[in-house]
Parts: sequence; C-alpha cells; structure tokens
Amino acid sequence: MTGVLFVLPALAVLALLIVYPVVNTGVLSVTNEQGAFVALANYEAVAEGRLTATAVLNTIYFVGGSIVFQVVLGTLVGILLNQQFRGRAFLRSVTLIPWVVPGIVAATIWAWMLHSEVGIVNHLLTSGGLVNRSVGWLTDPDIVMPALIAINVWKLFPFVAIMVLAGLQTVPNELYESARVDGASFRDEIRHVMLPQIRPVLISVTLLLTIWGLNAITIIYTITRGGPANRTLVMPIYIYRQAFEAFAFHQAAALSAVFFLFSLVLVVLYLRVFAVQEGRP
Amino acid sequence: MMRVARLGAAGALAAAALACASAESGREIVWWTPSWGQSRAEVLADKFEAAHPGVTVKLEVTVADGLPTRIQTALRSGAPPDLIEAQHGWVVPYAQANLVQPLDDVLEDRADYLPAALEYDTWNDRLWGVPFRIETHALFYNRGMFREAGLDPDKPPQTWPALVDAAKALTRAGSAGRRQYGYAITGGGEVGNTLFRTLPLIWMNGGDIISADLRRATVNARPAVEAVTFYTDMLTRHRVSPPSTLQDDGLAIRRLFVAESVAMYQSGPFDIAPIRSENPKLDLGVMMLPTPTGGAPAAALGGWSFIVPKDARQPDLAKTLVRFLAESENMGYFTDTFPARTSAMTLPRFADPILENFKRMLPHARRLPAHKNWLQIVQIYFDHVQRVLVGDVPAQRAMDEAAVEIDRLLAGP
Repeated sequence: MTGVLFVLPALAVLALLIVYPVVNTGVLSVTNEQGAFVALANYEAVAEGRLTATAVLNTIYFVGGSIVFQVVLGTLVGILLNQQFRGRAFLRSVTLIPWVVPGIVAATIWAWMLHSEVGIVNHLLTSGGLVNRSVGWLTDPDIVMPALIAINVWKLFPFVAIMVLAGLQTVPNELYESARVDGASFRDEIRHVMLPQIRPVLISVTLLLTIWGLNAITIIYTITRGGPANRTLVMPIYIYRQAFEAFAFHQAAALSAVFFLFSLVLVVLYLRVFAVQEGRP
Repeated sequence: MMRVARLGAAGALAAAALACASAESGREIVWWTPSWGQSRAEVLADKFEAAHPGVTVKLEVTVADGLPTRIQTALRSGAPPDLIEAQHGWVVPYAQANLVQPLDDVLEDRADYLPAALEYDTWNDRLWGVPFRIETHALFYNRGMFREAGLDPDKPPQTWPALVDAAKALTRAGSAGRRQYGYAITGGGEVGNTLFRTLPLIWMNGGDIISADLRRATVNARPAVEAVTFYTDMLTRHRVSPPSTLQDDGLAIRRLFVAESVAMYQSGPFDIAPIRSENPKLDLGVMMLPTPTGGAPAAALGGWSFIVPKDARQPDLAKTLVRFLAESENMGYFTDTFPARTSAMTLPRFADPILENFKRMLPHARRLPAHKNWLQIVQIYFDHVQRVLVGDVPAQRAMDEAAVEIDRLLAGP
C-alpha cells in the first residue's frame, strides 16, 4: 500500500503532463469545432492539405541529412579528442560550445552571418576570392535546406563527439596493443577496434538524434520560418502554424497524431534492425 | 511519515493562498508594450503611477517577431494582460472573435481623431480599440547616391516606369567598389512587411486582395496581378533588389539602406530616427510613393491602437490607463510616427521638414479589410508572393492558386 502511495505523486505528474495532453490531442483529432465526433474527417483534410506532402518530404530531407553528418563528424571528432596531444583538454571544452549555446541565440547569429548582403560568411568568401558573387545561403531555394542542415550539424555534433569519446574511454588498451602487434595502422585501429567497440554508443546516439531531428523546430523557425515559399517547412512548423496561426486545432491534432505514428514506426523499425542484432550471442 | 506529508501539504496550500491574496490586493495592471517604445512607455507608466497612488503598472516588453500570434494566444488563454498595443488591422478580427472589450466609454473628444483611424477600430457600431499612432509608408531615398548616378535628387520618380528606370540606373558598382542596388523590396520576415509594401500598389492599380463585400478573392484579377508582378519584378526581372530579398524584412532593408547598399526603399516615418542615428552623414530624402501611369496615390494606413482584453483582470484600471495615454500631450509624446489626434499634431516634434511627404501621404491612406480570417488570408497571399519571388511560378498562376485558398477561407464558418 505504501508502495503505491510513494509512486502516486510521480504518477500524478506524469498523468497531468504527458497522458492528458496526448489523450486530449487524440480526442481533438477526431472531433470538430462544435465538439461532435467526426471520425477520420480531420485526417482526410490533413492528407489533402496543400502543404502536407511538402512538410513530410522536407522533414525526411532535413533529418536524414542532419543525422549522416552529425554522426560522421561527431565520430571523427570524438576519435580525435581521444588521442594524446597538447591542448587536448582545451579543445574538448571548446568543442562543446555549439551544443551549449541556446538554440535561438545560435540560430539568430547564424541567420545574420549567412545574410547574402551583410553576412560575414559571404564577405569572407568574396574578399578571399573563393567565389565571385555572394551566395544566397538562405534565399536560394536549393541551398537553404543544406544551409539549415549544416547549422543543425554544427549544433549537435558535439553531443555525438562527447558520447563517442566516453565510449572510447572504455576500450581496453590490450585491444590496441594486440592490433598493433598484428601490424595495424591507425586507420585499421579505427576500423577494427574503435568502431566495433563504440557501436552500441552510435546506435543509441543515432536514435536520439533521429527523435530530436524529427521534433526540431527552433533553428528552422527562427531563421526562415519555414520559408522561403515553404522550402524549409518541416512537420513541427506545419503543425505549429495550423494550431497557432490558423487556429485549426483539430487538424493540427490530426497532423500531430499522424506524425507521432510515423516517428513511432521509424523508431521501432530502427530498434528492430540494430538493437536486436546486439543481443545475439 | 504521514505527519511530514500533512505538514508539507498544509505549507503548500498556505503559500498558494498567500500568493493569490497578494496578487489581488496590490492593484497591478500588466501592459504589453513593444520594444521600440519601451523607454517612453516607462516614462508614461511612472507618470500614471504618480497620479494614481497604490496602482502599479507592470510593463512587459514584446518584440515584433511573432507578435500577432503571441497576442492571439494570450487573448484566447483566459489569462491575458490588462492592456495590449496592437496594430489597427488586428483589432476588429479580435472583436469579431469576442476577445476584446469595447472602449466607447474611454474615448474622449471623438472629433479630434482622424476619422479613418477610428473607423479602423469600429465594428458593429462600437469602438474596440483606441488608436494612438498612425502612419503610412513613403519612399526613402539616398540623395547622395542619386547625384552619383546622375539623377536629380530634387526630382524623384513619380510613376512606376520612372521608378524602375531610376532603380536600374542606381544598381551599379558603388563608390566603395561594393555592389549597390537601386530599390530594395522585402520577401521575408513577418507577413506585414510585404503586405504593407504590396497592397498599396494593388490599390493604386485599382484592385484589392478581396472584394469590398468580403465575399470573393480578387487577388488574381488583372490589377492585382499587375501590381504583384511590378513588385516581384524588382528582384526576378530587373534585379534592382539585393539577392538577400527573400530573407529581408523591413528592418533588414533599413540596415542595407543605412549601409548604403541600397538607394531606395519603402518604409514609415519610424525609420527616420534610426537612420539618422546609425548614419548621420547619409543625405536622406523622402518621396511620395510612385503611382502607375494614370493611377491615383494610395497607401495602407498603419499604426497601433490600445486594446483591453475581455478577460483582463483589471479592466477598469486598464481603461483609466488608456484614457491617460490618449490625452493629447501623452499621445503626442508616445507615438513613434504620428498621433491619431489632430490636436497632438501641433507638437514641435512633428514640424520636422523631412516629415512633409509622409504627411502628404496621410490623406490617401486606406484601412485594411476587416475579415475575421484576415491574418490567415494574408499568410496565404504572402506564401504565394514568395513563390513568385523564388521563381517557382509566374505571378498569375500564384495568385490564381492563392485565390482558390482565400475563397475557401471566405466561405468558411
């Protein structure tokens, strides 16, 4: 009995903050403005929405692109920070800065740095002679999403680096020594010793990055609002606009439910493919 | 164990009760004021507190970014502030959604106000906001850059073709070796930036975004499409607007103007002080908005009103504050541009010669249409204008598709 009482406060908070909003969203998605039950009418409206397909494709583009580079860059930096060299401690601290800077601050600064006219990036590129005309980082429809992916990579690769670094600390020295005895170069060490050992770390990190990427709104909303011409409209921004700019709460709820299911399927598939293999003897 | 839990619960309850009590007995009103007027708001808040002992005015400073959404959310939350500054165009949609209180009893000296401004805040024969600031756009131009390009700064362009020619002449490699552009348009940021710069063009050409009876979209009719084409051509065809257009809002193009990267841009009198302080050497000129050949001048009446939310906790105190702020002298002090009261227009600060053409635009100012879905209509319009700027579709097709969506909103519940 006392056991239940101990758990009750935590359960109450969970119920209030998680269960109630989720259930309420589900209820909103199957009712209309007058409160009547309309089954899948909102879902149909959402599927036919002009921007739904755009939002889905942009989300996949953004998340896929971000993860690839976050993991690759983070792993390389983690391996680098694991080596012995002077100034290593300082470099480890500096690497954390992008992750620590608040999202809005980073996004605003990047927006001004990438400004086509007065941004410092274009200034350096043109005065250094690397390009002839200033690049439309946030105005060219083909470049804007890669630019945002780059900012997202910059923001989160330190997290991957720190996780990889932590994982590498647990690699026993004997493994390196036996590899070197077998004539392994540094590249072979990375391929055959480090990467297999940090595989579990990479699997969990990629899962986290996927979930964060799917929910990411701060950087894109701050910099482009989903524009220009909805080129960078991702699902979270689309849902936000439906709910708080168009006040179409029921359709926004339907969109949220669909997006939740989409993310859930993705995560389950991911775990099936990667985590199950780990359990094999 | 249970005793500790009971004591803890009692303590929490007492603290909550104390907090509730102090919030109601101390007479405090919350005033949302935008960042650009913050220092003046503080002065007026102090004056009001001195005249009304026991009352505290709590200023919460807002920013332009995301403001319409923020205000809507606060009004619908059931716990809004007591006084909010909102643009005129937002007031009647709030009233139609039953989110604000009528302020007929607050208005003193009705005849002193600009009729168009009062009409803006009126719906169903009641007044839902007290206008305090009115302005329209005009065209800022850099007289020094005009001279360098061989143009006469005392004879600025007055028609659309003349504007395009002047802009082309001004788009060249500047004296510092950096490329300069003739005429900057906005393509990014908040929707209002581009709306206030394109809607007057549509009006001058004889069209509108929606019909006068608010039943159909007319944004794809010829006058509107011609105006949108004229605007977007500045970037896509004539290339007299800088490549950053799609990420530029009014603030960004003002910065470009101050940095002398662009020679002309459209904005309101609120930009005069920042331009003068950020680049005192700039030889600043203001011209009236050019018209299409044979068209009549038009401008969008902009500006801000005080509104009191329906669910405000201290509505009577809020109304007293509005009455205080609407006094001629206070209004003249507080406004960034022009006051809504004619008697306040005689204050010395409004005698600056640079304001001349702004004042001459005022009689041509028109209010924006009042439809409860206006904010969404404008978002759709802006999305499609951006598509034209990006080069996805020509203006006619973009406006046709915008019209389909807008019609759906106009027909809705």
